[in-house]
Amino acid sequence: MTAQMFFIGFFGLASVWFGIVVFRTFSMVRSALALLFSQTALGAMFLSMQAEFLGVLQIMMMATEMSIMAIFMVMFMMDPGGLGEMDMTHQKRLSLGAGIVAFVAAVAVAVFVDWGPIADVAPDAAQQTVDLGLELLGRSMLIFETAGITILTAMIAATAVAIPPVKRKPSKGATHHEH
Amino acid sequence: MSIELLLALITGAALFGVGIYGALSQTNLVMIMMGVELILAGAMVNLLAFWRYLHPDNPAGQMFVLIIMTVMAIEMAVGFGVAIARFRAKGSVEMEEATELKG
Amino acid sequence: MTTAVLLLLLAFGAYLVAVLENWATSGRFQLATPAFSALALLGRESVLPRKPDRIFFEVAPTLLLISAVLAAAVIPLTPNLIITDLATGALFINAALVYVLVALIMAGWGPNGAYAMIGGWRFLGQLIAYAMLIVMPITAVVMRAESLLTTQIVVSQAGLWNIVYQPVGFVLFFIAAMALAFLPPFDLTTAKGELAGGVEAEYSGVRLAVFRLGRLVLIITLAAATVVFYLGGWQGPWLPPWAWSAIKILAVTAIMLLAGRYMPRIREANLLSWCWMFGIPLALLNIFLVGVLVLVFS
Repeated sequence: MTAQMFFIGFFGLASVWFGIVVFRTFSMVRSALALLFSQTALGAMFLSMQAEFLGVLQIMMMATEMSIMAIFMVMFMMDPGGLGEMDMTHQKRLSLGAGIVAFVAAVAVAVFVDWGPIADVAPDAAQQTVDLGLELLGRSMLIFETAGITILTAMIAATAVAIPPVKRKPSKGATHHEH
Repeated sequence: MSIELLLALITGAALFGVGIYGALSQTNLVMIMMGVELILAGAMVNLLAFWRYLHPDNPAGQMFVLIIMTVMAIEMAVGFGVAIARFRAKGSVEMEEATELKG
Repeated sequence: MTTAVLLLLLAFGAYLVAVLENWATSGRFQLATPAFSALALLGRESVLPRKPDRIFFEVAPTLLLISAVLAAAVIPLTPNLIITDLATGALFINAALVYVLVALIMAGWGPNGAYAMIGGWRFLGQLIAYAMLIVMPITAVVMRAESLLTTQIVVSQAGLWNIVYQPVGFVLFFIAAMALAFLPPFDLTTAKGELAGGVEAEYSGVRLAVFRLGRLVLIITLAAATVVFYLGGWQGPWLPPWAWSAIKILAVTAIMLLAGRYMPRIREANLLSWCWMFGIPLALLNIFLVGVLVLVFS
């Protein structure tokens, strides 16, 4: 058993365990931060798979994302502290079944497919970063730029949906209501 | 077949399963989004494992992971936009109550 | 070995920051005061508030300390005195420092107190304001160095320090670093006199000591990062590299602590709108200018 194998297994297990905690705790902040630690464990797993840039990026991005998620949870849930232990689920048996079927099917595919030759060495971290940069601004530039434009569109659309509608008075005197 | 690849794929499958369970079983929009995030995380692990153990010399594999991170961010932005709009209009983001589109 | 030396230096630096902060606040330069305050804190009872979220309450101060120490791990004091020279060092500093936010949200939510909670969520708003101003100036620095290695970033400033090469980036990064370390006038999350200490309000005894230590380490780490990114790191004439690092880091720390003393605390909404309306366009302009300069003079 190599160190890499151990770390992948350990962080994978941690990630899945925190992922389960997300849906088992009643406190909404705990739930959001459990998701954060699930993603952080995933980032650590990326690091142990020698993808340094992506691992660090994952650890960095998810912290902000999930913290923002935490405040939205507190804003929109009726019982964010979880002291009332409200049940917030429905169709439990169906979803549990679907989750298990999805898991088993994916594992079956992973086990029974012949993945071909396994590569032993990955390029070193600095080389990877250079390669990824050249890939993003070379062959995959169109996809990358499309992603950028899409995220800009999503930001504008989300802001437009989220800002409160301005109510204008029909009378002419109400100039201070116009924006 | 390498054990490392298998471990990573099983992790991805487990995250995917947990995510499916969450997305289907929760009644709150924000919790459903958490489920979707987990599903995307599962996909991300798989893609990175494929890059590392099958094609480490091709950086396009890493680019896929970056694209999934973008998708996660977009999903958060749009989801929260919709959540704010719905909360402002109806006073809750419970999906049991969101039956206006039911035919 | 290097790690042990650097951790000792970090602890020593944190102590000096405490002395400087005391000097900046009270106007008295006393070398022994922080030691006595620390002893007093350790001797006091560490009160547990009613119905806390116990995990968050206990983990938060430690997480603050850990994230600051991790960020310090990629900062070179001399060409060889660095804990780990990661290939993604400049990004790693960001990744570690984001967990300051997580720690503060935990510290705000954990103790089940109104002031603490407001302080914690305020820091989230503060992050939305400063986060881009940390990342974008670093992008420009990395563009000039053509590397994410922090040692390489220092080497790239051999001819001309980045503070001259990209002054806009320096100003933005400096302000954002002060906001990240919640120093006045950006101390919205601890807001003495308004929130009664904010996230610190419910902490006492040993836990408060760890929290304060974490913040001191955070301040010195950010000062060191500023030195590495903009002030040429260990470079300088006559003196040995470690001396230059020490002098520059302490000078930046002193400026950081003094800069906000005579300014009123900035309101959350103003901070957000100024950062997004002026800060981010300026940061983008900085990236553009640096890009042009790099293309023209390389």
